[in-house]
Amino acid sequence: MKLIKKQIPLAIVFVTGVLTLISYYVPHKVSVDYIETLNKWENIVVAFAFLLGLISLFFSHYNKIARKGDGWGYSIFVFIGFLAIIIPAYVSGGKQMVEGVLTPLGWSYKYIYTALSGTMFAVLAFYIVSTAYRSFRIKSPQAFVLFVAAFILILGKVPLGQIIWDSALGWTGQSVSAVIEWIMQVPAVAGKRGIMIGISIGAIVTSLKIIFGIEKQYMGKD
Amino acid sequence: MKETLQKFFKIDRRWIFLLLAVTLVVPIVKPIGLPNKSISQATTRVYESLEKLPAGSFLLLSLDYDPSTRPELHPMAMALVRHAFSRNLRVGVVTYIAGSTGLIEELFAKVGKEYNKKDGTDYVILPYQPNILAVMTQMSSDLYGIYSKDRNGTDIAGMPVLKGVKTYKDMSLVVCVTGTAILDYWVAYVGDKYSVPVAGGVTAISQPGYGPYLQTNQLKGLIGGMKGAAEYESLIKQPGKGTSGIDALNLAHLLVLILILTSNIILLFVKYF
Repeated sequence: MKLIKKQIPLAIVFVTGVLTLISYYVPHKVSVDYIETLNKWENIVVAFAFLLGLISLFFSHYNKIARKGDGWGYSIFVFIGFLAIIIPAYVSGGKQMVEGVLTPLGWSYKYIYTALSGTMFAVLAFYIVSTAYRSFRIKSPQAFVLFVAAFILILGKVPLGQIIWDSALGWTGQSVSAVIEWIMQVPAVAGKRGIMIGISIGAIVTSLKIIFGIEKQYMGKD
Repeated sequence: MKETLQKFFKIDRRWIFLLLAVTLVVPIVKPIGLPNKSISQATTRVYESLEKLPAGSFLLLSLDYDPSTRPELHPMAMALVRHAFSRNLRVGVVTYIAGSTGLIEELFAKVGKEYNKKDGTDYVILPYQPNILAVMTQMSSDLYGIYSKDRNGTDIAGMPVLKGVKTYKDMSLVVCVTGTAILDYWVAYVGDKYSVPVAGGVTAISQPGYGPYLQTNQLKGLIGGMKGAAEYESLIKQPGKGTSGIDALNLAHLLVLILILTSNIILLFVKYF
């Protein structure tokens, strides 16, 4: 049992991991063919993962409706939303537009998906503005630095802000664009580069731990 | 006095919502037409990258955004396609976001018609693919190994638009417009590895994160947010949704600043006076 549940999966991960890693650096036909085969397999696995996710989603919401759990009414919309896209997609043969005219799928996309998705994202703007007023407090030197940087960036990112800067601080001889350029090129890049290097080192270490079987959490608890 | 001021902190958030709604709706209904005073270097670099390509070059566009980021990203994608068509470039489109397919259709139906460009001859829209890294790697050796048909199921082999295009070596430039981290993948897995020039268009919120790539020239240029879209529109001298949306953006940004300043001034007053 240990062989099937532990040793064979670890061996597959090790062999696949090492081969893929080597293939990245070896531009030989064999490695290219190997990567091509792996890419096709990956696509098949991803397609099944989508299907699995869909089935899991349906079961979860079906159970919620059957149990009449909290907010079960919203779960009905999961099925309505799914049908509102999948039926037109089937009818239209997956095409959204034919000779410049919207198909039923194109209609569902434009008037249901686009409208809902845009609305959901737009609502965020209202919460951000409200939170900015209620929560952004300059209580420490760090918060002050953050505020000054944000103030200059927001001001400089819009033409009206640039006009205000020029009329109030034009005498300094520095345009807000030049100040923003410096903020973006020096402190922002330095910070971002540090974060990127940290993340990359972390990702390399985690990958090596997985390949060499030190990290086994992905296999579950058994 | 202090009690009255403290009441402002507990103001019903719906008043702020209303204020923002008015701030956004008014300039959309009646544009103020504020001038776009400066054009950033990063946007100019994208423009110049396209501008220097000879007619007939192949431009690969990776349009990876859905309706949630449409106001910022669709105008810049539209400006890029207009620029490419005006320069008679051949355009290929890929996407790794399922929700972007309708927007791509809409974009090419509109701009293709404006420039009298034909699907399959002047541009090709490849179908959505879910596995980004597999597709990116595959396109380095053989594009047709992963894409055999376009989004309508037509065979792409033999299409005039793809004549002589098999791998990244045959592409002159890749431009990724996205509200996700897909641009990072283009830089790391394609640009750096296969020496393909990569440029991008991203949302304003993710723009600062690409500074390191711009500095090292791993990104040939970057269009950032609605302002970037407005800048690009002014570079190609075709004002569009980016330019018209900038008024609402102007006032909304200023509203945020005013609200933050007001709340902090009240805080100081309550604390020290």
